[in-house]
Amino acid sequence: MAFNGLKKAVTLSPSVRTLPSGVPAAPLLNLAARAPADPHAHASGAGPRSDVPPRWTGGVSRTSSGLVSKTFTTLSPTTPSSVRFMHTTPAVKDAPEVPDFSHYRANDNDNNRALSYFMVGTMGLVSASAAKSTVTEFLKSMSASADVLALAKVELELASIPEGKNVVIKWRGKPVFIRHRTQAEIDEARDVKWQSLRDPESDDARVKKPEWLIMLGVCTHLGCVPIGESGDYGGWFCPCHGSHYDISGRVRKGPAPLNLEIPAYEFNEAEGKVIIG
Amino acid sequence: MSISTTLYNTVFRRNSVFVTTVFAGAFAFGIGFDTAVTTFYDRWNRGKQWKDIRHKYAESEE
Repeated sequence: MAFNGLKKAVTLSPSVRTLPSGVPAAPLLNLAARAPADPHAHASGAGPRSDVPPRWTGGVSRTSSGLVSKTFTTLSPTTPSSVRFMHTTPAVKDAPEVPDFSHYRANDNDNNRALSYFMVGTMGLVSASAAKSTVTEFLKSMSASADVLALAKVELELASIPEGKNVVIKWRGKPVFIRHRTQAEIDEARDVKWQSLRDPESDDARVKKPEWLIMLGVCTHLGCVPIGESGDYGGWFCPCHGSHYDISGRVRKGPAPLNLEIPAYEFNEAEGKVIIG
Repeated sequence: MSISTTLYNTVFRRNSVFVTTVFAGAFAFGIGFDTAVTTFYDRWNRGKQWKDIRHKYAESEE
Protein backbone atom coordinates (compact mmCIF):
# COMPACT_ATOMS: atom_id res chain seq x y z
CA MET A 1 0.00 0.00 0.00
CA ALA A 2 1.19 3.43 -0.82
CA PHE A 3 0.41 4.58 2.65
CA ASN A 4 2.88 2.10 4.11
CA GLY A 5 5.58 3.19 1.72
CA LEU A 6 5.58 6.68 3.26
CA LYS A 7 6.05 5.32 6.72
CA LYS A 8 9.74 5.54 7.47
CA ALA A 9 11.31 5.17 10.83
CA VAL A 10 14.30 7.43 11.08
CA THR A 11 16.16 8.04 14.30
CA LEU A 12 18.23 11.21 14.35
CA SER A 13 20.59 12.30 17.01
CA PRO A 14 19.35 15.41 18.81
CA SER A 15 20.89 18.59 17.53
CA VAL A 16 19.97 20.52 20.61
CA ARG A 17 20.27 19.76 24.24
CA THR A 18 17.45 20.45 26.64
CA LEU A 19 18.26 21.99 29.94
CA PRO A 20 16.62 20.59 33.10
CA SER A 21 14.35 23.63 33.13
CA GLY A 22 12.93 22.58 29.77
CA VAL A 23 14.63 25.35 27.86
CA PRO A 24 16.51 24.14 24.83
CA ALA A 25 20.23 24.99 24.92
CA ALA A 26 21.62 25.57 21.48
CA PRO A 27 25.16 26.77 21.83
CA LEU A 28 26.03 26.36 18.21
CA LEU A 29 22.87 27.99 16.85
CA ASN A 30 23.59 31.04 14.80
CA LEU A 31 20.56 33.23 14.99
CA ALA A 32 22.05 35.79 12.66
CA ALA A 33 22.34 33.33 9.83
CA ARG A 34 21.05 34.57 6.58
CA ALA A 35 19.44 32.71 3.82
CA PRO A 36 21.62 32.18 0.79
CA ALA A 37 21.10 34.55 -2.07
CA ASP A 38 18.05 33.51 -4.02
CA PRO A 39 17.62 35.06 -7.46
CA HIS A 40 13.99 34.05 -7.48
CA ALA A 41 13.17 35.64 -4.14
CA HIS A 42 10.61 38.36 -4.14
CA ALA A 43 12.67 40.48 -1.85
CA SER A 44 15.67 42.04 -3.40
CA GLY A 45 18.65 39.79 -2.94
CA ALA A 46 20.07 38.53 0.28
CA GLY A 47 19.56 40.29 3.52
CA PRO A 48 17.20 40.25 6.45
CA ARG A 49 13.71 39.11 5.61
CA SER A 50 11.22 41.88 5.29
CA ASP A 51 8.48 39.98 7.07
CA VAL A 52 10.52 39.37 10.19
CA PRO A 53 9.10 41.33 13.08
CA PRO A 54 11.39 44.04 14.36
CA ARG A 55 13.58 43.32 17.30
CA TRP A 56 11.66 45.57 19.68
CA THR A 57 8.60 43.41 19.54
CA GLY A 58 10.53 40.57 21.08
CA GLY A 59 12.21 37.64 19.45
CA VAL A 60 14.58 34.84 20.18
CA SER A 61 17.90 35.44 21.89
CA ARG A 62 20.64 33.27 23.20
CA THR A 63 21.47 33.68 26.82
CA SER A 64 23.74 31.88 29.14
CA SER A 65 20.83 29.90 30.48
CA GLY A 66 19.67 28.84 27.04
CA LEU A 67 17.45 29.96 24.20
CA VAL A 68 14.94 32.57 25.29
CA SER A 69 11.98 33.85 23.32
CA LYS A 70 10.41 37.05 24.43
CA THR A 71 7.34 38.83 23.21
CA PHE A 72 6.56 42.25 24.56
CA THR A 73 2.84 42.64 24.79
CA THR A 74 3.10 46.04 26.37
CA LEU A 75 5.29 48.17 24.30
CA SER A 76 7.20 51.11 25.49
CA PRO A 77 5.99 54.37 24.06
CA THR A 78 7.25 55.08 20.64
CA THR A 79 7.24 58.79 21.10
CA PRO A 80 9.58 60.21 23.69
CA SER A 81 6.94 61.56 26.06
CA SER A 82 3.39 62.51 25.15
CA VAL A 83 1.08 64.56 27.26
CA ARG A 84 -2.60 63.83 26.95
CA PHE A 85 -4.72 66.89 26.96
CA MET A 86 -8.27 66.04 27.99
CA HIS A 87 -10.71 68.43 26.48
CA THR A 88 -14.21 68.52 25.11
CA THR A 89 -13.66 70.72 22.13
CA PRO A 90 -14.25 68.71 18.99
CA ALA A 91 -11.13 68.04 17.12
CA VAL A 92 -10.58 70.00 14.02
CA LYS A 93 -10.43 67.57 11.19
CA ASP A 94 -8.97 67.93 7.79
CA ALA A 95 -12.14 66.62 6.13
CA PRO A 96 -14.94 67.09 8.64
CA GLU A 97 -17.55 65.05 6.78
CA VAL A 98 -17.02 62.94 3.79
CA PRO A 99 -19.38 62.72 1.97
CA ASP A 100 -20.90 66.10 2.59
CA PHE A 101 -24.67 65.89 3.20
CA SER A 102 -25.21 69.52 3.99
CA HIS A 103 -26.65 70.09 0.55
CA TYR A 104 -29.42 67.58 1.25
CA ARG A 105 -30.17 68.67 4.80
CA ALA A 106 -33.17 70.85 5.57
CA ASN A 107 -32.28 74.40 6.44
CA ASP A 108 -35.15 74.69 8.92
CA ASN A 109 -36.37 71.72 10.92
CA ASP A 110 -39.30 73.68 12.43
CA ASN A 111 -40.82 74.13 9.01
CA ASN A 112 -40.65 70.44 8.25
CA ARG A 113 -42.12 69.51 11.63
CA ALA A 114 -45.04 71.89 11.22
CA LEU A 115 -45.63 70.61 7.69
CA SER A 116 -45.67 66.97 8.84
CA TYR A 117 -48.21 67.68 11.55
CA PHE A 118 -50.23 69.79 9.14
CA MET A 119 -50.44 66.94 6.66
CA VAL A 120 -51.47 64.52 9.43
CA GLY A 121 -54.12 66.96 10.60
CA THR A 122 -55.43 67.52 7.08
CA MET A 123 -55.70 63.79 6.54
CA GLY A 124 -57.66 63.49 9.78
CA LEU A 125 -59.89 66.39 8.77
CA VAL A 126 -60.76 64.89 5.41
CA SER A 127 -61.30 61.46 6.97
CA ALA A 128 -63.60 62.91 9.62
CA SER A 129 -65.60 64.74 6.95
CA ALA A 130 -65.88 61.62 4.83
CA ALA A 131 -66.96 59.50 7.80
CA LYS A 132 -69.52 62.09 8.85
CA SER A 133 -71.05 62.39 5.41
CA THR A 134 -71.05 58.62 4.95
CA VAL A 135 -73.04 58.16 8.13
CA THR A 136 -75.34 61.08 7.33
CA GLU A 137 -76.09 59.90 3.81
CA PHE A 138 -76.71 56.37 5.03
CA LEU A 139 -79.19 57.59 7.63
CA LYS A 140 -80.81 59.86 5.05
CA SER A 141 -81.34 56.90 2.76
CA MET A 142 -83.38 55.22 5.49
CA SER A 143 -85.74 58.11 6.05
CA ALA A 144 -88.89 58.46 3.97
CA SER A 145 -88.58 60.35 0.72
CA ALA A 146 -90.52 63.52 -0.02
CA ASP A 147 -93.19 61.87 -2.20
CA VAL A 148 -93.93 59.28 0.48
CA LEU A 149 -94.17 62.02 3.09
CA ALA A 150 -96.49 64.02 0.85
CA LEU A 151 -98.81 61.03 0.43
CA ALA A 152 -98.76 60.36 4.13
CA LYS A 153 -100.64 63.57 4.93
CA VAL A 154 -104.23 64.49 4.44
CA GLU A 155 -105.59 68.01 4.36
CA LEU A 156 -109.20 68.78 5.11
CA GLU A 157 -111.13 72.01 5.07
CA LEU A 158 -112.91 72.34 8.39
CA ALA A 159 -115.42 74.95 7.28
CA SER A 160 -117.19 72.35 5.15
CA ILE A 161 -118.18 70.32 8.21
CA PRO A 162 -121.28 71.66 9.94
CA GLU A 163 -121.71 71.44 13.67
CA GLY A 164 -122.90 68.09 14.96
CA LYS A 165 -121.80 66.15 11.88
CA ASN A 166 -119.33 63.36 11.30
CA VAL A 167 -116.91 63.12 8.42
CA VAL A 168 -114.97 59.99 7.56
CA ILE A 169 -111.89 60.31 5.42
CA LYS A 170 -109.24 57.85 4.39
CA TRP A 171 -105.75 58.36 5.73
CA ARG A 172 -102.99 55.81 5.14
CA GLY A 173 -105.58 53.20 4.24
CA LYS A 174 -107.58 53.68 7.42
CA PRO A 175 -110.70 55.67 8.14
CA VAL A 176 -110.41 58.79 10.23
CA PHE A 177 -113.42 60.18 12.07
CA ILE A 178 -113.73 63.92 12.34
CA ARG A 179 -116.63 65.22 14.39
CA HIS A 180 -117.62 68.80 14.78
CA ARG A 181 -118.99 68.60 18.30
CA THR A 182 -121.72 70.81 19.64
CA GLN A 183 -121.34 72.60 22.93
CA ALA A 184 -123.73 70.11 24.57
CA GLU A 185 -121.58 67.21 23.40
CA ILE A 186 -118.44 68.89 24.69
CA ASP A 187 -120.05 69.38 28.09
CA GLU A 188 -121.21 65.79 28.08
CA ALA A 189 -117.72 64.54 27.28
CA ARG A 190 -116.22 66.67 30.01
CA ASP A 191 -118.70 65.74 32.72
CA VAL A 192 -117.88 62.06 32.61
CA LYS A 193 -115.86 60.76 35.55
CA TRP A 194 -113.10 59.52 33.33
CA GLN A 195 -110.96 58.22 36.18
CA SER A 196 -113.24 55.22 36.57
CA LEU A 197 -113.30 54.28 32.86
CA ARG A 198 -111.67 51.18 31.43
CA ASP A 199 -109.04 53.28 29.63
CA PRO A 200 -109.00 56.42 31.76
CA GLU A 201 -108.35 59.47 29.62
CA SER A 202 -109.72 62.97 30.00
CA ASP A 203 -111.41 64.72 27.10
CA ASP A 204 -108.77 67.46 27.23
CA ALA A 205 -106.06 64.93 26.51
CA ARG A 206 -107.93 63.63 23.45
CA VAL A 207 -108.60 66.87 21.59
CA LYS A 208 -106.61 69.91 20.66
CA LYS A 209 -109.68 72.04 20.14
CA PRO A 210 -112.80 70.91 22.07
CA GLU A 211 -115.12 71.28 19.06
CA TRP A 212 -113.01 69.06 16.81
CA LEU A 213 -112.69 65.42 17.71
CA ILE A 214 -110.29 63.63 15.34
CA MET A 215 -109.53 59.95 15.78
CA LEU A 216 -108.82 56.74 13.91
CA GLY A 217 -112.01 54.91 13.01
CA VAL A 218 -110.68 51.49 13.88
CA CYS A 219 -112.20 49.62 16.76
CA THR A 220 -109.50 48.72 19.26
CA HIS A 221 -111.01 45.31 19.72
CA LEU A 222 -110.54 43.58 16.36
CA GLY A 223 -110.31 46.42 13.89
CA CYS A 224 -113.83 46.92 12.60
CA VAL A 225 -115.04 50.37 11.66
CA PRO A 226 -117.52 51.67 14.26
CA ILE A 227 -120.77 53.33 13.22
CA GLY A 228 -121.17 56.98 14.14
CA GLU A 229 -123.94 58.61 16.14
CA SER A 230 -125.11 55.38 17.65
CA GLY A 231 -124.57 53.27 20.70
CA ASP A 232 -125.63 53.72 24.31
CA TYR A 233 -123.36 56.72 24.90
CA GLY A 234 -124.21 58.87 21.90
CA GLY A 235 -120.91 58.26 20.21
CA TRP A 236 -119.83 55.27 18.16
CA PHE A 237 -120.91 51.70 18.13
CA CYS A 238 -118.96 48.80 16.73
CA PRO A 239 -121.34 46.34 15.07
CA CYS A 240 -118.91 43.44 15.11
CA HIS A 241 -118.81 42.70 18.83
CA GLY A 242 -120.80 45.50 20.36
CA SER A 243 -118.31 47.97 21.72
CA HIS A 244 -119.78 51.33 22.70
CA TYR A 245 -117.76 54.52 22.50
CA ASP A 246 -118.83 57.85 23.92
CA ILE A 247 -118.74 61.28 22.30
CA SER A 248 -115.04 61.56 23.11
CA GLY A 249 -114.24 58.19 21.52
CA ARG A 250 -113.62 56.45 24.84
CA VAL A 251 -114.69 52.86 25.24
CA ARG A 252 -117.56 52.52 27.69
CA LYS A 253 -119.01 49.12 27.07
CA GLY A 254 -118.14 45.97 25.19
CA PRO A 255 -114.98 43.98 24.56
CA ALA A 256 -112.73 46.81 23.28
CA PRO A 257 -109.80 47.36 25.63
CA LEU A 258 -108.76 50.86 24.65
CA ASN A 259 -110.20 54.16 23.50
CA LEU A 260 -110.21 55.00 19.81
CA GLU A 261 -106.74 56.06 18.77
CA ILE A 262 -105.86 59.70 18.14
CA PRO A 263 -103.60 60.31 15.11
CA ALA A 264 -101.03 63.10 14.90
CA TYR A 265 -102.70 66.17 13.45
CA GLU A 266 -102.43 69.92 13.52
CA PHE A 267 -104.62 72.84 12.62
CA ASN A 268 -103.75 75.37 9.98
CA GLU A 269 -105.50 78.40 11.39
CA ALA A 270 -104.79 80.67 8.46
CA GLU A 271 -106.50 78.46 5.88
CA GLY A 272 -108.97 76.84 8.25
CA LYS A 273 -107.65 73.37 7.56
CA VAL A 274 -106.60 70.35 9.54
CA ILE A 275 -103.60 68.35 8.46
CA ILE A 276 -103.57 64.76 9.58
CA GLY A 277 -100.22 63.02 9.55
CA MET B 1 -40.49 83.37 15.77
CA SER B 2 -41.48 81.96 12.43
CA ILE B 3 -45.04 81.13 11.52
CA SER B 4 -44.38 77.39 11.55
CA THR B 5 -43.07 77.51 15.10
CA THR B 6 -46.08 79.54 16.18
CA LEU B 7 -48.39 77.05 14.52
CA TYR B 8 -46.63 74.15 16.19
CA ASN B 9 -46.75 75.72 19.60
CA THR B 10 -50.41 76.72 19.41
CA VAL B 11 -52.00 73.78 17.63
CA PHE B 12 -49.80 70.72 17.32
CA ARG B 13 -48.08 70.64 20.66
CA ARG B 14 -51.00 69.26 22.70
CA ASN B 15 -52.86 66.33 21.23
CA SER B 16 -56.16 67.47 22.75
CA VAL B 17 -55.89 70.80 20.98
CA PHE B 18 -54.78 69.06 17.80
CA VAL B 19 -57.72 66.65 17.71
CA THR B 20 -60.19 69.39 18.63
CA THR B 21 -58.84 71.53 15.82
CA VAL B 22 -59.15 68.63 13.40
CA PHE B 23 -62.81 68.05 14.28
CA ALA B 24 -63.68 71.74 14.23
CA GLY B 25 -61.91 71.98 10.89
CA ALA B 26 -63.86 68.99 9.60
CA PHE B 27 -67.12 70.70 10.60
CA ALA B 28 -66.16 73.93 8.89
CA PHE B 29 -64.85 72.05 5.88
CA GLY B 30 -68.12 70.13 5.55
CA ILE B 31 -70.19 73.31 5.54
CA GLY B 32 -67.80 75.10 3.20
CA PHE B 33 -67.63 72.16 0.80
CA ASP B 34 -71.42 71.85 0.69
CA THR B 35 -71.86 75.55 0.06
CA ALA B 36 -69.21 75.57 -2.64
CA VAL B 37 -70.66 72.56 -4.45
CA THR B 38 -74.22 73.91 -4.23
CA THR B 39 -73.15 77.30 -5.53
CA PHE B 40 -71.29 75.70 -8.39
CA TYR B 41 -74.24 73.44 -9.20
CA ASP B 42 -76.68 76.33 -9.22
CA ARG B 43 -74.44 78.40 -11.44
CA TRP B 44 -73.81 75.54 -13.82
CA ASN B 45 -77.55 74.83 -14.12
CA ARG B 46 -78.65 78.42 -14.12
CA GLY B 47 -82.09 78.83 -15.69
CA LYS B 48 -82.90 75.13 -15.64
CA GLN B 49 -84.04 74.57 -12.08
CA TRP B 50 -87.54 75.04 -10.78
CA LYS B 51 -86.51 77.79 -8.44
CA ASP B 52 -85.16 79.74 -11.40
CA ILE B 53 -88.29 79.43 -13.56
CA ARG B 54 -90.87 79.37 -10.80
CA HIS B 55 -91.75 83.07 -11.18
CA LYS B 56 -92.95 82.47 -14.73
CA TYR B 57 -95.65 80.08 -13.59
CA ALA B 58 -96.39 81.04 -10.03
CA GLU B 59 -97.79 84.42 -11.04
CA SER B 60 -100.21 83.01 -13.59
CA GLU B 61 -101.58 80.52 -11.07
CA GLU B 62 -102.44 83.16 -8.52
